[in-house]
Amino acid sequence: MQWTADKVQEEIVTLLQPFNPKGIEITPETDLSADLYMDSVAAMNLVMEIEDRFEIDIPISLLPDVNNLQDLVEAVLAQLSKG
Amino acid sequence: MPSATASTNSNLSFRIAEFETLVDGLDYAAKGETGCNFFSPRGELQQALTYREIRERAVALAQRFDRLGLERGARVALVAETSPDFLTFFYACQYAGLIPVPLPLAINLGGHDAYVERLRNMIGRAGAEIAVGPAELLHYLREAASNLKMVGTPEDFYALPASGGDLRPFTKDEACYIQYSSGSTSLPRGVFVSQRAITSNARGIGQHGLELRPGDRATSWLPLYHDMGLVGFCLTPMLSQITLDYLATKSFALRPLTWLKLLSQYGGTISFSPTFGYDLCATRGLNGSAKTIDLSHWRVAGIGGEMVRAEILSRFAETFGVTGFSPKAFLPSYGLAESTLAVTFASLDKGVEVDRIDQEHYTHTGNVSPVNGRANGKANGHVNGHINGSAARSFVICGAPMPGHEVEVRSETNAPLADHNVGRVVVRGPSVMDGYFNDPAATAAVTTEDGWLDTGDLGYMIDGKLVVTGRRKDLVILNGLNIWPQDVEWAVEALEEVRGSDVACFSVIETDGNERMIVVLQCRMHDTAARESLRKKVVATVRKTCGADCRVVLVPPKTLKFTSSGKLSRSAVKADYISGEISDLNLASSRQAAPTPAYSEQRR
Repeated sequence: MQWTADKVQEEIVTLLQPFNPKGIEITPETDLSADLYMDSVAAMNLVMEIEDRFEIDIPISLLPDVNNLQDLVEAVLAQLSKG
Repeated sequence: MPSATASTNSNLSFRIAEFETLVDGLDYAAKGETGCNFFSPRGELQQALTYREIRERAVALAQRFDRLGLERGARVALVAETSPDFLTFFYACQYAGLIPVPLPLAINLGGHDAYVERLRNMIGRAGAEIAVGPAELLHYLREAASNLKMVGTPEDFYALPASGGDLRPFTKDEACYIQYSSGSTSLPRGVFVSQRAITSNARGIGQHGLELRPGDRATSWLPLYHDMGLVGFCLTPMLSQITLDYLATKSFALRPLTWLKLLSQYGGTISFSPTFGYDLCATRGLNGSAKTIDLSHWRVAGIGGEMVRAEILSRFAETFGVTGFSPKAFLPSYGLAESTLAVTFASLDKGVEVDRIDQEHYTHTGNVSPVNGRANGKANGHVNGHINGSAARSFVICGAPMPGHEVEVRSETNAPLADHNVGRVVVRGPSVMDGYFNDPAATAAVTTEDGWLDTGDLGYMIDGKLVVTGRRKDLVILNGLNIWPQDVEWAVEALEEVRGSDVACFSVIETDGNERMIVVLQCRMHDTAARESLRKKVVATVRKTCGADCRVVLVPPKTLKFTSSGKLSRSAVKADYISGEISDLNLASSRQAAPTPAYSEQRR
């Protein structure tokens, strides 16, 4: 299927729900470590969920530049376009 | 689709690390059919290279290096991805007389600046003149090292002019590589490993520790920038013509069972992991598709790199017993990068053996006495507990030193101690480093006056076998009671609300001259009342664990610091606490958790 930026964001927000027990509102600016308190274990679990959902490989080298949801959406779109 | 390299050479006799240089070892291995296989995150074979192909690539690259005008012994920074390129570059340096410096990979969310800083310090302290890394990491590398002779991807180097270069291989009395392992991020210490040290260590591991035999096959997800990955699962197997099956560390972290599936599918007989790797697998458990896993040929399931924890290994053996895994395959070991990698190995085919001691006696005297006069016992999953009414705890026996190596336990004044007396573990032998690279002060600080390596670990001997009890500088002493910070951390981490690697325990001397135990805990709760209830629970748990009171400091995630090999750096966390970098989430505005200049360094 053809993924749009909106659709990718929507899917990632769904995948983020287990990491958001407080149910805070997730916006493109939501900081994954500061707002969702994701540590390296949580990050690895999220990466696995995203890889399986979008059938892509997320190089860990991208993670240092992923701070918020927007960064994550862009990283996924970039990997999708490599198809 | 490539096919994996064979486990045995049909045309070459098996020689276990008899070589005096890496080049001699690779020249020999290149005559056979064994080699290295690289697997995808889901365990599909992606690339297979025989040692012959690896040698050909390395030699071709070494001839290109020759055109860069580097002095003999110049340093080459290599981002150590688990890939054929890393092997090619590492061995090319050996043929070109250049010293490779493996660098870590970036892994943390939002960790850009910290990673660049780490690379910058490592490259700077090694004085590297060229740096190479995979394309997706190149921007970090360029940011960290702007003024080197050349910074590029492997392809950039392969594209250098090829003709006319000479090989200048390292000889047996020369250097081999620089291993960053200990030290903090800001002051990394690079172990300067010689050809003598690496070949001696490989010989001890291959001939003595593992008793390598034809048909052995090694499987690894360990990072190649760490000594256990590089020495244990790259150089030692190569020096013994052993085939390697590689899974990237990230692939293991995402899907730990892929490790076990590879072992099953390709017949791996040897694989190592720190305790936490076994823990991850046991936690994940056997899923449906994994029921076909056969681990009956896994004859050495080594444990190293951190304190060996018998209860977790028991859980792994229980979970995977149906696969034919034998707990006798567990092989505890002890080592450190300053001794290349390995120092002691437990006996093969015995599993985890523990020494059970009287907790009370240890806590009050600092020495150990066997429980009920029985020093050894099999791990049974109930390591700590009460035996016949007296409190007992157990330590894993890490075995005897490799031939040619010696281990002693010394007092604070460097006097040798008798069995069952806990003291400083010191090591001597051909695997011990000559020193940290360009850092005589740091080298002197870990060398005893009679020339032994002071490991910084605490332990005791029983019948020539070493038992490690913890790190000396981290020991907490309260009112004459010896407390292991690990024990406190593990107990707190076992709480439902707390995750692994979220806790650091250490002690500080307060203004009144008393030592106080501090437990820093990364807390994800937003609610003040919930935090306070967690604080109470932690204090209660610590009290239950070691009978002492502590001050709990709740901090945001990512506050704790780790060494470049991923171990908790209590000293760095403590320094942050003393300097006021760390303050409590709930008490930030009050003075209670704020430091005062009167805090002084711990006595020992």
